[in-house]
Amino acid sequence: MSDTAGALQHPWPNLRLQREGVGLGMWMFLASEVLFFGGLFVSYAVYRSFNEEAFRIAGEHTEIVYGTINTVLLLTSSLTMTVALRAATANMRDLTLACLAVTAALGVAFLICKGLEYREDLKEHLFPDPHFPLSPPATQMFWGFYWIMTGIHAVHLTGGIAIVLVVLVLFKRRVIPVQGSTMEGVAIYWHFVDSVWLVLYPLLYLAGRS
Amino acid sequence: MTDHAPSSRPELDAERRSERRAQAWWLWKGPALVWLALIVLFAISLGSAYLPLGDGNIAANLLIAAVMIVLLVTFLMDLQNATVIVRLIAGAGLFWLIFMFSLTFNDYLSRYY
Repeated sequence: MSDTAGALQHPWPNLRLQREGVGLGMWMFLASEVLFFGGLFVSYAVYRSFNEEAFRIAGEHTEIVYGTINTVLLLTSSLTMTVALRAATANMRDLTLACLAVTAALGVAFLICKGLEYREDLKEHLFPDPHFPLSPPATQMFWGFYWIMTGIHAVHLTGGIAIVLVVLVLFKRRVIPVQGSTMEGVAIYWHFVDSVWLVLYPLLYLAGRS
Repeated sequence: MTDHAPSSRPELDAERRSERRAQAWWLWKGPALVWLALIVLFAISLGSAYLPLGDGNIAANLLIAAVMIVLLVTFLMDLQNATVIVRLIAGAGLFWLIFMFSLTFNDYLSRYY
């Protein structure tokens, strides 16, 4: 049974335009997010261009196994999120709910992996302070970027997981219909958080491996 | 396609099942291919990081990351089917990012001290 009527909101004449409206709003937000992360990327690039050797030495100490597992987890979550959106558009309720649940689970798995990685980093005392174990001193800059970049990314992902879970519950209780425009915004945001990680990974985990 | 209650007519059920299988294939096929391409590119990037390429390492890693993001944005974020205004907004983010990098490095790379 289609619940298109409940999905359509004022003032949209049809669902297609409503979805486009949500997509447009989310892309505007993401364009500003690009500049937010861009500020971090440009700072990283400037400091790295002046401290190439220090960044190489510091980069050898990131936990590449955790980083690699996390990349695969996020890429796979983007697959399930895309299928969730397609299923929602086709009003396949069960598949939408299942894919959303898997996406959130993959997101949580990422955070658990990240937590384990942070524990290893802390054990090795890899955070900038007077007892920092590596030299030259500029290696601390790399680790400053590591904590800020991965921390902000984790905050974004946590927000994404929370949104996915809330939407999942609202769909399940039939508060909002799956075929509406909600999934459009959720999916685009999720993929953005994934794509930020695709830049962070080479900057933080692949530096200094050769 | 919508969820149906089981029918008392088996031939209709069989028809619906095959229709659903076709639909499931349509839902998964495209995104799964993109996912596979992303995983392969990721593996190439990871492997290349261990080759002694000097400055070529980070260049290769970032180039592959850029290709991965283009794939993700085009097919998974579905920018290929987006309206012109949405593409413009998405492009604006990239446009100002390029400005941020070029203006910043215009200063740092031209310093002689």
